[in-house]
Amino acid sequence: MSATPTITLIDYDAGNLASLEGALDRLGLVHRRAATPEQAASAGPIILPGVGHFEAAQRSLAERGWWRALPNLVAEGRPLLGICLGLQLLAEGSEEAPRAEGLGLIPGIVRRLGPGVKVPHMGWSQVRQHMAHPALPDPKGAWLYFVHSYALEPSTESVYLADHGRPFAAIEARGMVMGFQPHPEKSGRPGLLLLQSALTWMGARAPVPEETCN
Amino acid sequence: MPAKRVIPCLDVKQGRVVKGVQFKGLRDIGHPVELARRYDAESADELVFLDISASLEQRGTRESWVRDVAHELSIPFTVGGGVSKVEDARSLLRAGADKVAVNSAASLRPALVTELADAFGRQCVVAAVDVKRDPELGWRVYLKGGTEPTARSAKDWLWELNELGAGEILLTSMDRDGTGDGFDLPLLDWASELPIPLIASGGAGREVHFLEALEHGADAVLAATLFHENLLPIPRLKAYLAEHDLSIRI
Repeated sequence: MSATPTITLIDYDAGNLASLEGALDRLGLVHRRAATPEQAASAGPIILPGVGHFEAAQRSLAERGWWRALPNLVAEGRPLLGICLGLQLLAEGSEEAPRAEGLGLIPGIVRRLGPGVKVPHMGWSQVRQHMAHPALPDPKGAWLYFVHSYALEPSTESVYLADHGRPFAAIEARGMVMGFQPHPEKSGRPGLLLLQSALTWMGARAPVPEETCN
Repeated sequence: MPAKRVIPCLDVKQGRVVKGVQFKGLRDIGHPVELARRYDAESADELVFLDISASLEQRGTRESWVRDVAHELSIPFTVGGGVSKVEDARSLLRAGADKVAVNSAASLRPALVTELADAFGRQCVVAAVDVKRDPELGWRVYLKGGTEPTARSAKDWLWELNELGAGEILLTSMDRDGTGDGFDLPLLDWASELPIPLIASGGAGREVHFLEALEHGADAVLAATLFHENLLPIPRLKAYLAEHDLSIRI
């Protein structure tokens, strides 16, 4: 067995895991699904995907033990990547579910998009750099795929911003916790490269072949 | 505003992509995964797969190719064909489809649209509507690929679909479909007043037709033969649209 870190995909009935797994396979990254924290790999990045309603997702994560486990795992230094609703769950809260709390691993509140624009924001939009980040280069106007009705307000630490009626955080990072509002697994080649950069920075790498042929 | 989208449409029968030949028959043009890869590489913005298998047994293998497509594709895709209940949609979304398209079943039982939107969010629900010009109604809704007229006016039905919870409309002009004479622009003029995105379909023959449709309010343009036969390569079309100052993902 090699010591290649395994990416853990949180499996809680609120994400399109098939596409994400396809993207990771194309990048040659090793991954596994985990319905509960006990099933997580012992090291390596954790991905929190998510589509659907904030409160339903929160409840589902709590039922599986993830809601309590994630802050501890992050405190121990485990890298965590939230995608789409996954990013929103990392924040302090959301207007979508005013009574529910977020994980609070990223400061800020998630607010509804609009008025004056079609909601959900669905389709390809350009992103721009806001703050420099060691793993994520200037996207130079790259187009990424979005499907969401709520978004995290930009902060001084937003890495990329996008616009839909108003600017919002497309990528937010706090140490080893990172959130992507777009779907990198649905965003063509630029999305794949972003996923690769973020996960590699978080410690994932493709397995080294054990032998080479000459 | 998000970019205007260019969408190839693929008809699937018994797990193979097929192309109609002048209403006479079908020609096999490949496995869904092969075509998905090709269109992904050609910078299509999204794909629509319509399963035209006649029966449930013929559709049996659907989840398996949907799963394979999801694994290979790095852009979003919609799957339609015979979706008549929430469970049909669930199995497609579980297998990795981003959206499901409904057509006849929604017309026969409109509550289906609301059930799908409640279960999965309206962004997952594409309502496909086939219409023909009509002296009485302006445009009339047809079922079964344009062969079966309904009593519905297209205008009323589109607004109703929006209220029922459709997230997007895929609107096909059966008068123009297959002609290559251009989209039905007066149809797009009023349909694009809907507050949800509009995919224009039926009639594309040349680059300028796509430009016209987008200028007449469509959010996305869909075609099949032109792209399958490579008569109009997608990169060339997108470069053309971008030159005409449309917001296009290059």
